[in-house]
Amino acid sequence: MTTKPDWELPGSEAQLTALTREMDEAHREVLPLMHARAAEHVEELHERGTVRQLHTERNLARRGFLLGVGGVGAMAALAACSSAGTQTPDTRAGTASGGSYTGDLKVVALAVALENQAVAAYKAALANAKAGTLGTVPPAAATFMQTAMSQHEDHAKAWNAVLTGAGLAAITGIPLSNAAATANAVNSATSTAAVAKLALGLENQATETYLYAIGNVSNSGAIATAASIAPVEAMHAATLNFVLGQYPVPDSFISTSKAASPSMLTV
Amino acid sequence: MDGEAIDTRLLAHLTEQSQDLNSDATRITRQALTEYAEDRREARRGRGPGAWAAGLLGAGAVLLGSARAEAASATPSGSPDKNDVMALQTAASIENLAVMVYNAASQLSFIKSGNAAVMEFITKTAAQHEAHGKAFNAALTQAGAQTQTGVDPKYAAKAQADLPNIKNSGDVVALALQLEDVAAQTYTKYVSVVTTPTLRTLFGSVAPVEAQHRSVLLSVQALLNANDEALVAIPTDVAKLPAAAGSVGIPVAFYPTSQASPTSEGAVS
Repeated sequence: MTTKPDWELPGSEAQLTALTREMDEAHREVLPLMHARAAEHVEELHERGTVRQLHTERNLARRGFLLGVGGVGAMAALAACSSAGTQTPDTRAGTASGGSYTGDLKVVALAVALENQAVAAYKAALANAKAGTLGTVPPAAATFMQTAMSQHEDHAKAWNAVLTGAGLAAITGIPLSNAAATANAVNSATSTAAVAKLALGLENQATETYLYAIGNVSNSGAIATAASIAPVEAMHAATLNFVLGQYPVPDSFISTSKAASPSMLTV
Repeated sequence: MDGEAIDTRLLAHLTEQSQDLNSDATRITRQALTEYAEDRREARRGRGPGAWAAGLLGAGAVLLGSARAEAASATPSGSPDKNDVMALQTAASIENLAVMVYNAASQLSFIKSGNAAVMEFITKTAAQHEAHGKAFNAALTQAGAQTQTGVDPKYAAKAQADLPNIKNSGDVVALALQLEDVAAQTYTKYVSVVTTPTLRTLFGSVAPVEAQHRSVLLSVQALLNANDEALVAIPTDVAKLPAAAGSVGIPVAFYPTSQASPTSEGAVS
C-alpha cells in the first residue's frame, strides 16, 4: 500500500470530498434514530417478558447447579417455555445449543459477532496494507475499507445496545466457529483483490443474514434494525464488486443461501 | 429532452432480458410468494398465522402489545390485510415508474452513443425493476387483490417535469438517484409495516438491491462531476480511482426511511 498518513487529494477530487463530507453528516443524523430503535427494541423485549425470562433462566441456572437433577429438569421446562414464548423457531441452526443468548437475542448476538468479524477483517487488512504485504493499495480501496469498517462498528454498537439493554453482556469479540479461519484468510491475502474477495463474502453473508433475521425474528425493533442495515451491507458489496471489476448489482433479489446460521455462535 | 422520444416498445425486449438476469436469488422470492399464498389459504381455513398466533398466545398476546400478534389477529377472516395490499400496490407503482424512466433514458441519443457502462447499467436496472414489479404484482394476485399496472403518481409527476430538461448523463443519473432512494427507503420501511414474515422477506429482499442501484449511481455521479467519466467502466482502473470514490457509494451506516412513500401513495383506488 502507498501508506500516506494523510491523503493528499488532487484538485479534481474537491467535489467528491465535499460530497463525502455531506454524506458523513447525513450518516451522523441517522445515528440517533438507530439508538432510539435499539431502545424501542429493549422496551419491547421487556414488555414481552423476554428480558425477565432471561434473568429467571440465569437464576435457575445457578440454582440448577446446586440442586442437581431437579434443577436441570426445571431448566429444561423453562427452555421449552422460552422457545414457545419467543416464537422464533431456529430452523437454520439445526441445534438448540445452550448459551446466554436465546430466541431473538440469539440472532442479535449473531449480528454483533458478524459485525465484529467485519471490523476485525478490515482492521487487519488496513494494517497489512500499511505493512506493505498487500502490495500497492489503490487509494479508493483504502478509503472504502476505512469507511466500511466505521459503519460496521456503528452496526455492532446498535446491536450491542440491544443486548446490554436486555441485561446481557455486550459481545466484543468474534464468537463464531469460523473466526480463526476467516482471520487466517485475511492475513494470508497478498493483494487488494484477494482482500476485496474475502470482504465481499463477509458483506454478502451479512446482507443475507439480516434478510434471514427479517423473516424469522418477531421483535419489531430487531426487524427494523436488520432492515436498515441490510441495504448498507449490500451497498458495501456493490462497491467491492465494482473494485473487483464485476457487475455491482448481480442479483435482482437478495437470497438467504449464504446467510450465517445461528449455530455458528460459540456463546 | 432535445426532441428525444420515449420508446416504450423497448419494454418487450427488456422483459426477455429480465428472464436471463434473474439469478438463483429469484427462487427465494418465488418461495416467499408461494408461502404467502399458503398463508392466505391457511387463513381462509381459519388456521393461518392469525389463528395460529391466537391459539398459541391467546388474548394475552394482544394485551402484551405485540405488534405481530396485533397484526396477525387483524385478519381473522382470511381476507388480505388492506395495508399489505396497498404496500404491494405502491411498491409495484414505484417499480413501474422506474422501468418507464430507465426505458426512456435508454432511448436518449447521448445515452445510446455514450458511456457503455452507463448504458449497461440502465438496461440491466430496468430489467431488475421489472422483475421487482412482477414479484409485487404476483403477491397481489396470490392474495386475490388487484394488481398495479400504473405508476406512482407523486414521482411520476416529478419525472414528467424533469424528463424534458434532461440534457446529459448527469441529469439522468440525478433523476434515477431520486427514484432508487425512494424505492429503497420505502421497502425498508415496509419491512416493518406488512403483517406476514413472507411479505417482510419479499420487501427485505428487494430493498438492498435498490440501495445497490443507488450506490452505483452515487459513484457514477461523483466520477462524472469530477470529470472522470473514463473511470465509469467495468472493469474500471481501480488504481486511478480517486480516494473518495471508495466512500461516496456508501453514504450512511443505517438506511433511512424518512422519505418512504406512504402505503396509500400508489394504491389502486
